[in-house]
Amino acid sequence: MKPAIELIGVSKWYGSFQALKGLDLTVAEGERVVVCGPSGSGKSTMIRCINQLERHQKGDIRIHGRALSGEAKTDAPILRETGMVFQSFNLFPHMTVLENCTFALTWVKQMPQREAEATAMAHLERVRIPEQARKYPLQLSGGQQQRVAIARALCMAPRIMLFDEPTSALDPEMIKEVLDTMVELAGTGMTMVVVTHEMGFARTVANRVVFMDQGEIVEQAEPELFFSAPRYDRTRMFLSQIL
Amino acid sequence: MSDAPLVFTPRPADPPPPSTIGVVGWMRANLFSSVPNAILTFLGAYIFYVVVYAIIDWALIKAVWEAENRRQCLDMVGRSGACWPGVAAWIPNLIYGLYPKDQVWRINTGFLILIAWAVPLWLPRVKSKVAIGLSLVLLYPLLVSYFFHGGAQTLVWTALIALGGAAFLWVWLTTLAEMRFGLGFGALVARLAGAADDERARRIGWGALAALYVLALLIVSQLSFVEVQTRLWGGLFLTLVISGIGIAFSLPAGVLLALGRRSQMPLIRVFCVTFIELFRSVPLITILFMFNTMLPLFLPQGVEVNRLLRAIVAVCLFASAYMAEIVRGGLQAIPKGQYEAAAAMGLGFWQSTSLIILPQALRIMIPSIVGNFIGLFKDTTLVSIIGLFDLLSMSRAVGEDTRWLGLFIEPFFFITLIYFVFCFLMSQYSLNLERRLGEGQRR
Repeated sequence: MKPAIELIGVSKWYGSFQALKGLDLTVAEGERVVVCGPSGSGKSTMIRCINQLERHQKGDIRIHGRALSGEAKTDAPILRETGMVFQSFNLFPHMTVLENCTFALTWVKQMPQREAEATAMAHLERVRIPEQARKYPLQLSGGQQQRVAIARALCMAPRIMLFDEPTSALDPEMIKEVLDTMVELAGTGMTMVVVTHEMGFARTVANRVVFMDQGEIVEQAEPELFFSAPRYDRTRMFLSQIL
Repeated sequence: MSDAPLVFTPRPADPPPPSTIGVVGWMRANLFSSVPNAILTFLGAYIFYVVVYAIIDWALIKAVWEAENRRQCLDMVGRSGACWPGVAAWIPNLIYGLYPKDQVWRINTGFLILIAWAVPLWLPRVKSKVAIGLSLVLLYPLLVSYFFHGGAQTLVWTALIALGGAAFLWVWLTTLAEMRFGLGFGALVARLAGAADDERARRIGWGALAALYVLALLIVSQLSFVEVQTRLWGGLFLTLVISGIGIAFSLPAGVLLALGRRSQMPLIRVFCVTFIELFRSVPLITILFMFNTMLPLFLPQGVEVNRLLRAIVAVCLFASAYMAEIVRGGLQAIPKGQYEAAAAMGLGFWQSTSLIILPQALRIMIPSIVGNFIGLFKDTTLVSIIGLFDLLSMSRAVGEDTRWLGLFIEPFFFITLIYFVFCFLMSQYSLNLERRLGEGQRR
């Protein structure tokens, strides 16, 4: 399997506080990795370094074999292979659902309006909310908003999808609809890195679970093994608290 | 008992008690909810009646409508009624200043062009609104400057005026083309010319614009208006010129300054912070004085900067510094996630700023921006202290006219109404804008 994402000795400091301590992680193409860990463990920082919302200060990050340089110009085409879904959706409230989806297609990919709308509708159908296309994001429920956010990211045809706690801001009734969408997406062979505490999702969908604490990867294993026989005491304690 | 679950049926809603709805309910809740409240209501109504009646009595009932001079007014009603003929005789001056009577049509035409230029912004099927709005701010002043000032055209000035003229032609041709065919002017010409591919169409579109410019050049070079020096400008006209330029300049300049203040680049940030803090810490009067009296000292001998221009520059700089802080406040209210979502989809800084951040920020800033515009409009009265005859100084001149000696209150009352109408329209329009832009953005 060819690697989709490679992190090699990635370190990141906020002032003098070290958030990532020389991370090494390789995600293969089509692999689905769930990242978990207590808050402040650096899992969000890591996923945000992958698409350069945060700049790492040391180490290398490669996307499909191409190294990121830190220069916005040269990195832009490489980063376009990643799509991101945020905890708080971050939909653009002044645009309709459809405009949210077509926006980057027309402005970044210079796609003609009609074609962009067709693409957007296809993805909205995929997340099962085509009937909401003309509404504004704030008129939708949280779960629907998050599914729009997934459709919006998919519109740009990324080969890697990054999810930063996609269900943490949702009511329990809505978590399932978002997870179902993500499970379907996993079925298409998309490379996925998911920061989440949904251990059910990790068990059924992930190829690998990565456990982080204090800016380091403590251990990683197949979900079966990870849940039944964690090797570190720190992992056991974490699991005992959330399961 | 079986295991079948009980069925939950929600109860239908009851109507509210009758005494809490309708006019009676509203009055009971808001005007007469308690004894002190009822007393205050009657007291307030009484004061309102006394004041309003006094004004109506003076301004309408006892007022004099026909007289030759103030003496006649005083002989008829004394000071108990308003003397309107004085104001009526001065209305042309209150509106146009000392602008020559036979040239006043140029001012009227200039403002008609402004309205015609802005009309497409409210037409529903026009798509190029951003371009039209930008052309209004950037190119309309070029065209109208010749209408207002006139005089001999130099080569460069002719070229600039023609640019404004061409822009005006383009605005209306594009508006008509988009309303009729859904295509912009350039694209329509290309379609009619049967352009084969995009590249050719683009070239034909530019060619059409160039032709438009040549046409405008021909028209403009035929115009020849008598020069009207800016010292003759005055009244409402001058007030609108100064505040209009101030308003049109301060918003874009304020946006740039606010972005600069948040910039990562230290040089730009320091420049913007210095500019904003400097101009915000000094009263407008001081800045006007500075520009009026000190600026000529720093300029080389023989370089004469027009007095009106000095005032306009001062007002523009002052207003942009204030606008910058308003815009910065709006930018800060936009969650960081909006920038991140835009960045994650591959949008660059200018794209995400102009298409994601500013539209949202400007919407929440509308009340403060319009408040600032209204303030600016009224602040232009300060230019009277550097010898410009704006609406306020013009109204003071009425009472210095030998025929209407001492007639001050009536002209003040009149210009108060003018100021009120303009400011009220601005604030109503802003409320309307807020409502329309707010659609769908509330839960």
